Amino acid sequence: MKLTPSVFDIDFSETQERICRFIKEYVENAGAKGIMLGLSGGIDSALIAALSSLAIGGKNVLALMLPEEENFSQKDIDDAKAVADQFQLETSICDMTEVTKCFYKQIPIFDSNDRLCKGNIKARTRMIFLYYYANKFSRIVCGSSDKSETMMGYFTKWGDAAADIMPIMDLYKTQVRKLAIHLGIPQELASKPSTPALWPAQMAETEIGIKYETMDLILYGLERFMTTGEIAKEIGVEKSLAETVKRRWLSNEHKRRMPIAPKIGFRTVGIDFRLPRHKY
Amino acid sequence: MKDKIKVALAQVSSKREDKEANFQKIEKLTFKAKEQGANLAIFPEMSLTGYVVHDQIYELAEKIPGPIVKKAEALAKKTGMHFIFGMPELSEKTQATVFNTAIFVGPKGLIGKYRKMYLPTHSVFEEKRYFRPGYQTAAFQTDIGNIGLCICYDIFFPEVPRLTRLKGAQLIVCISASPAIRRSYFETLTCARAIENTAYVAYVNLVGVQDGLQFWGGSRLVSPNGDVVVKAKYDEEDFVTCEVDYSDLRTAEAFIPTLKDLRPELFDKLKEYSEFL
Repeated sequence: MKLTPSVFDIDFSETQERICRFIKEYVENAGAKGIMLGLSGGIDSALIAALSSLAIGGKNVLALMLPEEENFSQKDIDDAKAVADQFQLETSICDMTEVTKCFYKQIPIFDSNDRLCKGNIKARTRMIFLYYYANKFSRIVCGSSDKSETMMGYFTKWGDAAADIMPIMDLYKTQVRKLAIHLGIPQELASKPSTPALWPAQMAETEIGIKYETMDLILYGLERFMTTGEIAKEIGVEKSLAETVKRRWLSNEHKRRMPIAPKIGFRTVGIDFRLPRHKY
Repeated sequence: MKDKIKVALAQVSSKREDKEANFQKIEKLTFKAKEQGANLAIFPEMSLTGYVVHDQIYELAEKIPGPIVKKAEALAKKTGMHFIFGMPELSEKTQATVFNTAIFVGPKGLIGKYRKMYLPTHSVFEEKRYFRPGYQTAAFQTDIGNIGLCICYDIFFPEVPRLTRLKGAQLIVCISASPAIRRSYFETLTCARAIENTAYVAYVNLVGVQDGLQFWGGSRLVSPNGDVVVKAKYDEEDFVTCEVDYSDLRTAEAFIPTLKDLRPELFDKLKEYSEFL
């Protein structure tokens, strides 16, 4: 199988329609009053905001901006506001600084030098804000995880991965950027480097250690049941790089599943209770 | 038997686990089909219950004949219509053995049923977990022609439509619940099955979203020459009617005589080799 960037050139009009239909039907069937999402100023959240607006109308989409002082970026706020204006979203801003500081102060074993543990508090605090609004206004929380980051496990468990729906979780980052441009999101934002904003100057590609365009091709090959040897040969990288990506993909399955329980009963939640999400 | 019939392809979405609402839709569209002069209305696979019902299948399955089939027979009698729909069938002999079944009723009552033979259990599908496969192909001689039945994934296996055709089917009906990623396969296979069997193929697919799976619709009638006679919309509910002219089979059979040229001895080899894949 050929592994070239053209594999990501899907029919973006059809993809847009399919995702919008998914969002609309889910919100309607759940009996919710709209969508709640976090708008960070990055491309993933910009895209779910745009798709949600196209699906159910901007007035039914409440976008929350959640800055905190350590990661504060006026550029991110401006980019988020521009998306909200373009797709006519309702917006609100909540400063999380004092909340996160309170966590740092109240956790007896808190270690300010452990930036990952500290950063995960931020991701989970964002989740708490979003779900408060969602509860209060009977809305569905729309997550912004994409396929690249989900496969790599590059997200915070119960943080940014906590949502009711994930409309772009089956799109690689490369496709996220292309779909964003298709929807009229400015090129500058579509190609903006990704960051989970867990600590200052954190950049996804630097942290993962591989460019998205390469990582996406490797992941695409794994999705299509190719061996790491075949993938490496096809895209011209060291086999060890493909193996590293594969290992990371497999070792993070625990982050993508519901918590596991020892099987004791006849039918067990998360194992062999298999039920529809909702009737319609 | 009629030389020509009018067929209605009723491409619907189903409310999961709501047999009453879904049967009401079947009822409404059967009346609509009659108003438009159709002789036969076709509804998708599992259109009575929805496709993605997981463990709820045990509550939803019914024996045949059972309450729903009795209602279907009454509807067929009242309207003078023939119609086909999909439902989970509970075995007559056991209490939790279920089949993925197509029901065919006409003005005189239940004409027959077909139990899906090939149960997809890969990718997003888990049919073998819930269903027992059928063992018989189905072709029914009726007042509106010889109608054969198959269900969705069966169409990937040429032996099912072929055997159905060899039993006499002139119109092969394939009811389906196919998610969007598979569209191109079905668009190709419906034409291929029509051409290789010199028979009409009526394909009726579900629409709507069920647990993230989006069914793509695109129901169609394909002529024995492989031409798409009529096609319903992608992704949305639709209702289209079309004519099936059985004399077209003669033209197709004379032009590319695939049935005349069948080589029975190859089927023995096929059996022999398929046992040792």
